[in-house]
Amino acid sequence: MSDDLILFHNVSKFYGDVLGVNKVDLRIPSGITSLVGPNGSGKTTLMNLMSGLVHPGSGSITVRGVSPFAPEKLMRILGYATQYDAAPRGVTGFGFVVAGLLLYGYPKAEAERRAALAIETVSLTHAAQRKIAAYSKGMRQRIRLAQAIAHEPAVLVLDEPLNGLDPLVRAETIALFRNYAAQGRHVILSSHVLQEVDVFSDQVILIANGMIVAEGEIRNVRDEIHEHPSQFLLHCQNPSRVAAMLFEQADVTEVKIAPEGRGVLVMTRHREAFAAAVQRIALSGQEIDGVMPMDENVDALYEYLIGGGK
Amino acid sequence: MNQIWIIAKLEMRRAFFSKRALWVYLLALFPAVIFIGHGISVKMQRDEYAGKAVVPAAVLDRMPVGMADTEVLAAAGKPLMDRSWERRDVKRRTLMYFDGSRRVWFEFENGALRDSRWRVLSSMEEDRKIYAGMFQYFYLRLAVFFGCLGIFINLFRGEMIDKSLHFWFLAPVRREVLLLGKYCAGLIASAVIFGSGAVLSFVALLAYQTSADLQAYWQTEALYHGTWYMISAMLGCVGYGSVFLAAGLLLRNPIIPALVMLLWESINGFLPELLQKLSVLHYLQSICPVPPPMDPNVPPLLRLVLAPVAPTSAWVAILGVLGVTALVLYVASRAVRRLEINYGTE
Repeated sequence: MSDDLILFHNVSKFYGDVLGVNKVDLRIPSGITSLVGPNGSGKTTLMNLMSGLVHPGSGSITVRGVSPFAPEKLMRILGYATQYDAAPRGVTGFGFVVAGLLLYGYPKAEAERRAALAIETVSLTHAAQRKIAAYSKGMRQRIRLAQAIAHEPAVLVLDEPLNGLDPLVRAETIALFRNYAAQGRHVILSSHVLQEVDVFSDQVILIANGMIVAEGEIRNVRDEIHEHPSQFLLHCQNPSRVAAMLFEQADVTEVKIAPEGRGVLVMTRHREAFAAAVQRIALSGQEIDGVMPMDENVDALYEYLIGGGK
Repeated sequence: MNQIWIIAKLEMRRAFFSKRALWVYLLALFPAVIFIGHGISVKMQRDEYAGKAVVPAAVLDRMPVGMADTEVLAAAGKPLMDRSWERRDVKRRTLMYFDGSRRVWFEFENGALRDSRWRVLSSMEEDRKIYAGMFQYFYLRLAVFFGCLGIFINLFRGEMIDKSLHFWFLAPVRREVLLLGKYCAGLIASAVIFGSGAVLSFVALLAYQTSADLQAYWQTEALYHGTWYMISAMLGCVGYGSVFLAAGLLLRNPIIPALVMLLWESINGFLPELLQKLSVLHYLQSICPVPPPMDPNVPPLLRLVLAPVAPTSAWVAILGVLGVTALVLYVASRAVRRLEINYGTE
């Protein structure tokens, strides 16, 4: 059902002679999707395209069946916390969120109730009556997030939402994203904090130079990269012996004793064969405490697919 | 309609109270300040001459050129001012008298009357013409024009510069509705400011008139004139507002559209009749209740610039301004649909 998806069909966007994105085809299901790419790769352009802030030069976009050219419909299901730091002059945090809600047609009392709730969700109640101009970067980030979630949209788009947040608020914000995703909503975000993206994303879209390099669940994307062997860390009691046994496997390309001496670092081109080999080694009496994939994360995908430009 | 009003309410505060609005208030209040100042000056002069000797006008009017200064003194009595001096072997003398409403200066050379100058303390007829000139040449052409430039250009272009326009574009509002909401906000603010400015300056004009003049004017045309001055100022906001709102959407530099518009309005008198109808000023001048004073020595070309050749009737003029406004807003609505948030290039 395209009504549950965000669809990009052959979308290109140029800013004059400068490429924004080029021939993008995407099918984004609900859940948390992270856009990952170097600065200027086109992440914000993708977000602006799906929210109608910029228009594609060619191709088409639908967000849960709604065109970005119909803001009166789209913005009822979409909330976007942009990277733009400015807010209307002289307005308080509470006033900012209420003003947005009034445009949704909520009566004043209901708008104020929802605004208070959204501000509480982002832990900013104590500063709600202060002017946004006096907010710190992190507080501005949170008030934008409050405005984006205040009308409980089905699609939440967030440009670098974790920037400037302290660890506690960061954890709360990630919990909020998870909660949203668990309700079948879309949470689309960009981030350069790759480790965090790795932890909470259901799928990733890697983008470089305006082109989609890879998309999908992190594990599946990793499986698609054949030129780079998979890396695993085997925690075991006798690393030397286990290393020798692994060397006998044809699909294993490299084996190293882990620096602490408590495991073996293995590189293999065939994950299933490697899994079978580990099982055989364990059955032969070697104690294997655990197997940990070392490159099934965004960091590694980023390195493999885009290069060291992060 | 509800969304338009909500947007207008949110925007109006900024239009009325932003720091940028300060010079708009100054422009709107300038004529009132001038007329209040003039009124104070007239009152002071009246007070000054209240206790002075008055010579009947009939006596002062009968002083022919060539009359001796001694004869003038004999006929009119002691003057309020008597000043004599000599320059290049010519003896000069000035005598000043007051007839209750006018002051007259008799200028003598070698004892013979050479010239006389008359000046009324205040004349309502003259003041009304001055007001009409001020209203058309300054208020409509400059104050309303540049005031609307300041208010309406900022509705979109100012937000692009402040990087806050996306706030509006992320609301569940059709872009055309957003345009109308912002236009209404600018219109209400400018109409209140410049409508009040027109009324205030008109009241200032009336405030220092003699009670007899005031009563006569009030019973005939005062209300009619005041109302039409206010309406023409407000209609100026309607017309210029739409133009500058559209300019703020279509162009980055507001100076260019302002100059082009100013030029267009200025040369309007030279244009073919059909093109004249595409000028806001043409309609505004047509509904002004009093024609501005025009010196007979003004060259014909300049006369064309200062006054419309064929004024339109009031109701046609109102419809004309509304028609031009509707056309411009339609163009602006097309532009706002295509408008993108791209602060990097601002």
